[in-house]
Amino acid sequence: MNIFLLYLLLLKGTITAFAGLASLPVIQDTLVFQHHVLTDKQLNEAIVITRSTPGPVGLYVVSVGYFVAGLPGAAAGWLAMITPALLIIPLVHFAGRKIEHPRVKNVLQTVVIASSGLLLAAAIPLAREALTDTVTVGIAVVGLILLLLTELDTLWIILGASAISLSASAAGLLNRIVT
Amino acid sequence: MIVDSKDRNGPPSLGDIGWVFTRFANFTLGGGSATTAVLHHELLEKRRWLTDDRFVLCFALGRLTPGTNLLAFCTGAGWLLRGMPGAIIALFAASIPCTIMVTVLTALFSHWRDNHLAQPAIHGAIAAAVAVTVKTCWTIAKPHFRGPERLRAVFVGAAAFLLYVFAAIPAIDVLLLAAAAGAFWPMTSSR
Repeated sequence: MNIFLLYLLLLKGTITAFAGLASLPVIQDTLVFQHHVLTDKQLNEAIVITRSTPGPVGLYVVSVGYFVAGLPGAAAGWLAMITPALLIIPLVHFAGRKIEHPRVKNVLQTVVIASSGLLLAAAIPLAREALTDTVTVGIAVVGLILLLLTELDTLWIILGASAISLSASAAGLLNRIVT
Repeated sequence: MIVDSKDRNGPPSLGDIGWVFTRFANFTLGGGSATTAVLHHELLEKRRWLTDDRFVLCFALGRLTPGTNLLAFCTGAGWLLRGMPGAIIALFAASIPCTIMVTVLTALFSHWRDNHLAQPAIHGAIAAAVAVTVKTCWTIAKPHFRGPERLRAVFVGAAAFLLYVFAAIPAIDVLLLAAAAGAFWPMTSSR
């Protein structure tokens, strides 16, 4: 894929989202379903990689860029990630307190809420790809409960999930229960 | 807006800005909130580069800027400290080191993917990523899930989900529809 086109497609996701992973539905829609240059598995892997390192969650677009086009793709992902951040300069310079206008806040909040609904929808194909046996379903359910009810960092959840899956494989459990 | 002149120790050098954002925006585990807390300590309490009002303004506008909130916050803070050069240095410093880390890890990941020992570990980690994605939905929606806004959160979130899954409307179009709906949605007194 042309690197400039990849940058624009990733930018379409990042510039219409107001949180790191909220860009995922647009990127999934564009790169997985429309252009077929990425798989749901790679999208899941990008999330794993990003959550295993320090830094913002939005970094997953760098991994996505790498999966699509190698190092130039990672550079395109980095550019797509940082470009929207520059919009804060005119916001700080001109808008200041005006950003508190109820109508403007209404629009932004509605977009943010819609992006959470879209992210839940985007999780469906990701789950279909990742949760293939009892062990992985158990990992996802317990992981979600821990994330919702505790302050445990996602890094520990991911490392724990890896350890459990590795142990299950060593014990031969995965071979017996994989569907 | 004037470049920050109320800081108590004078404006920092571009090198200092680069160092602080490199050190604290890239190597803090725990995501954006934890990083913001560390930067609050560094920029206000320790180095006194920004006043509390300016930090809060940057933080609020960072939340309202598309993309990664933390990077928008760092860019805004850099702009307040040293204008456009400060903004660019802060943005690059906050994003380049962690981008390199993720790129290297992605390359290693692609290599390990076919390793028989690594495969089950990766399989488990990917299952956990599904939990992280679902939890992020709640993290995004939670601030809007209180008082009179709760009904709007349920309606808009469910409508976006249904339009995307069952009506096959592209995500970008759903977001544009949401923006249009937000412009006409009755404003509550709480805001």
